[in-house]
This record gives sequence, structure tokens and C-alpha cells, in this order.
Amino acid sequence: MSKTFFTIFCLLIYIFLLAPIVVVVLASFNAGAFLTFPPQGLSFRWYVVFFHNEVFWRAIKTSFWIAGVTTVISCIIGTMAAIYHVQFAGKLKETVRVAMMAPLLLPEVLTAIALLFFVYTIGIGTQTVLPMIIGHVLITLPFVFINVSASLETYDVSWTMAARSLGAGPFTRFRRIMLPLIKPGVIGGALFAFIISFDVFTISFMLKSVGMSTLPLQLYDYLRTNFTPEAAAVSSLSVFLTLVVVVVTEKFLGLKIHRF
Amino acid sequence: MNARATKKRASLLLIAPAGLLIFFFLVLPYLTIVVMSFRVPGDGTPYAPGFTTGNYLHFFSDSFFLVQTFNTLMIGAVCTLVCLLLGFPVAWQLARGNSRWRGIAYGIVLSPLLVGIVIRSYGWTIILGNNGMINRTLISMGLVDRPVGLMYNTLGIVIALSHVFLPFMILPIMSAIQGIDPSLESAARSLGASRATIIRRIILPLSMPGIQAGCILTFVLSLSAYVTPALIGGSKVKTMAVTVVDTLVDTFQWPFGSALALMLAVTGAVIVVIFARLTRMKWKVA
Repeated sequence: MSKTFFTIFCLLIYIFLLAPIVVVVLASFNAGAFLTFPPQGLSFRWYVVFFHNEVFWRAIKTSFWIAGVTTVISCIIGTMAAIYHVQFAGKLKETVRVAMMAPLLLPEVLTAIALLFFVYTIGIGTQTVLPMIIGHVLITLPFVFINVSASLETYDVSWTMAARSLGAGPFTRFRRIMLPLIKPGVIGGALFAFIISFDVFTISFMLKSVGMSTLPLQLYDYLRTNFTPEAAAVSSLSVFLTLVVVVVTEKFLGLKIHRF
Repeated sequence: MNARATKKRASLLLIAPAGLLIFFFLVLPYLTIVVMSFRVPGDGTPYAPGFTTGNYLHFFSDSFFLVQTFNTLMIGAVCTLVCLLLGFPVAWQLARGNSRWRGIAYGIVLSPLLVGIVIRSYGWTIILGNNGMINRTLISMGLVDRPVGLMYNTLGIVIALSHVFLPFMILPIMSAIQGIDPSLESAARSLGASRATIIRRIILPLSMPGIQAGCILTFVLSLSAYVTPALIGGSKVKTMAVTVVDTLVDTFQWPFGSALALMLAVTGAVIVVIFARLTRMKWKVA
């Protein structure tokens, strides 16, 4: 009896966790002009509206290239930091870990404000896209670091030694020995970096340059004044893209996610 | 020896890019907030030359900001409690369950983290709004004749924030429970302990580090959340984080906004430290 009750309780929580996402996807197929429940018939009407909306497409493109650039930078410096952390840090190991995790542990809104003041103080300002990229790299760095570190923990240094005794230089050793072995961690980190950068709001909101908009910013802007299901169509596409990225990565590249 | 020193110096190159990034774009910027909070408010510019403690005096002399800080802390506390009550059973089920649904259940717990916060908050506006799913259903069933206020108030903010941060409560508790030896539970059961006793006397105390981590994460995240309270609360109910961002972005009062942000951060940090002390002490005695 109590076991059934427990199972139902957990089931309700799973429904609670999925509810808003499912509701957005359902709402996107609403035929009516406003968001109402139950939907007034099924239609792709709002997808058509959205496909003709220049503003959202520009935002999606911006989001994609910013997330791409962020992922590449974050992966390179995050992997380097993880190698240092696991193999060379010695007594500094814990300090390095705390420093690298700091962007995740500090409130995003404070980090965003801090960066905004800082770029103005040193005179860069927000005329270019640079501050936003710095913010995105900062916020995605912990995810790369934690994933790569976790796969490095099982990496045996003697493999590097063996390669060195056979005459391999440091870059060959990294490319031919270490990288293939820690690949799942790097890919997991890259995946998280891309998704986080694609979705991050507050950092982008504070650091955006004039006239520039990422998808979350555009969506937020739209939602403040409009209530049509077009926003639901945009959101559903974003959810779908994320799903595709996760599934494709898992299928073709192998994936191992370490988050906490 | 010399080769070793060279190697050590070379290895520093690995940490240099990330280390410099953290130092220049995280440590220095946080110091900038502190400095900014003592700046003189500018007229037409974000700030003027010179320093003052006036921003903090302004905060303490205006009951509006004191009340709002208190309300924000309360929202954070209630969200943390709700997440703990909802999250613990799920964490336990995920850690101890071995059914074939476990993978799916884990995916469901992770799913909110993969969907942008704007989209999740938007989902809640569809569910909670005056014309939303819940109100429509209630009205069509004839249970109420006008919409129940679920949005643009504290209740809506608490519901949505609890959803947004629930995974951050579940995951640490789950890994803490996974670290508990299951034979302890069987031993207790063989000695005649009921399920409730096992949870109260074994699982709860031993998973305390996970509970503590989950509570602190949830509390800090809900204090500093911006998008969710802004969309759900609208212009009627504002949390401190929303006021801070408005002060900075809309009215350009950088020094005062910094003081507000720091006051929220400091009170939040004090509560976290007190919480950490209290929970550790309590479980040592028990």
C-alpha cells in the first residue's frame, strides 16, 4: 500500500518535471490566435509564421555561431586546464578545481553584472561581441573541465611514458595517445558547453551589443509583449534541435556525461 | 632536477589560458562590483568620480528594499523546502531502484537542464496564466467562475522556481544515497526496523552531505534567478534579482544597483553559512 503511494508520488513529480516542456510543444500546434487550452485544433500555422519571421532566424544564426565559437575555445582551454589539474597540479589540485568550478558556483546574475562593469571600466565596452563570448566561455568552462577531468582520472600516465620512450614528442603523444582515450569526456564537455551557451540568458542579456540578439534574448523580448503561439513554435524547434544534438552525439561519437 | 623544473614550468602553460581568463574576467570583475558600490551616483552617466557610503545608507533607510530583500530570501527558503520534499523521494528511487524505467527516469530529471530557462519559464506561463491550462480546466469544470491567481504573484514564482531548480536538489542527494552501503539497510530490516525508521535513522543522516549541497545550491540559485521571476512575476511582484537588473539596465544606477546586489549576496551567504553550521551540528548530536 505505502509502496504504491510512494510510486505514484514519484510519478507525479516526473510529470511536474516534464510538464512545462510538454506544454510548450503542445501549444505550438495550436490553431488559434492565442495560447489557449484545450488547443483549438491542430495546425502548423505558427511554424509557418515563424519560418517567415526574419528576426527569429537571425537570432538562431547568432546563437549557433556564438555557441560554436564558445565551444571551441572552452574545449581547448578547459581540456588543457583539466590535464594540468589531474597530472601536474600536485598540492594545488584542490585550488585549481575550485577556481575552475567557480563560474558554475557563483550566481550567474552577479557574474553578468561584474563582467558588464569590468568591460566598461577597462574601456572595451559592449560595442563588439567580445564581452559576450568571454562570458559564455567563462560559464561553459566548468562543464568541459569537470567532464575531461573525470575521464582523465582513469587515464594511465604510463601510456604517455611508453609513447615517449618510443620517441613521440608531446603533441604526438597528446594527439595519438591521450586524446583518443579521453575523447568521451571531451565530447561530453563540448556537448554541454554548446547547449549551455545556446541557452544561457542572463550573461547574454547584460553583455549583448546593441542590435544583437541570441535566440533566448529574442524569445524573452517577444514574450514580454506577445502571447501568440509563435513563441511556442520557436521554443519547440529549440528543444528539438537540442534533442537532435544529444542523440546524434550519443549515437556517433559515444558519450559519457559527468555533471556533478 | 633541472629537467624536472623545466617540465614543471612547461606544465604551467596548460593552466595559463584558463587561469588568466578566470583571474581577469571573474576575480577582477567581482572586485569591480565592490568598488562600484561605493561610487557616487552619476547624473546622466552610470557613475561620477569620488567615493561614498551613500548607496548602502540608501538601502538601509528605504524599507521598500529591506522588505523586498526579506521576501526574496523567503521565496528562496520556500523553494528550497519544496525542492527537498519533492526531490528526496525521487533521489531515493533513482539511487535504489533497479527497474528498467530507471534510465528514462534519470533522463526526465536531467531534461530541464537541457532546455533553456526562458523556454521553461514560458511553459509555466502557459500552465499558470489567467487564460492558462489550469484556470481553463477549473472554469470548464465549473469549480471556479473567474481565474485563480496563479501567476503575477509569489505563488507562481515559487512553483516555477521549484521546477527550475529541482534537478539541482535531486542529483547531489542521489549520489549521496548511492554512496550508502545497501547492506546497512538490510541489516536494519533484519533487526526489525520499519521502512520509516530506516529512512529516518540511516538514509537521512548518511545522505546529509548531499542534502546540504542540494539545499545550498537550490537556495543560492533561486535567490539569484532572474528570468523566471521576471516572466512569472511580471511587473507586479519583483524579487531582488529583478530589481537589481532593472536598476542597472533600465535606470542606469550602477553604484546603487551594485550595493543592492552585494547586500543580497551577503545576506544569502550569511544564511548559507548558518545553515551549514546548524545541519552539521544537529547530525553530529544525533
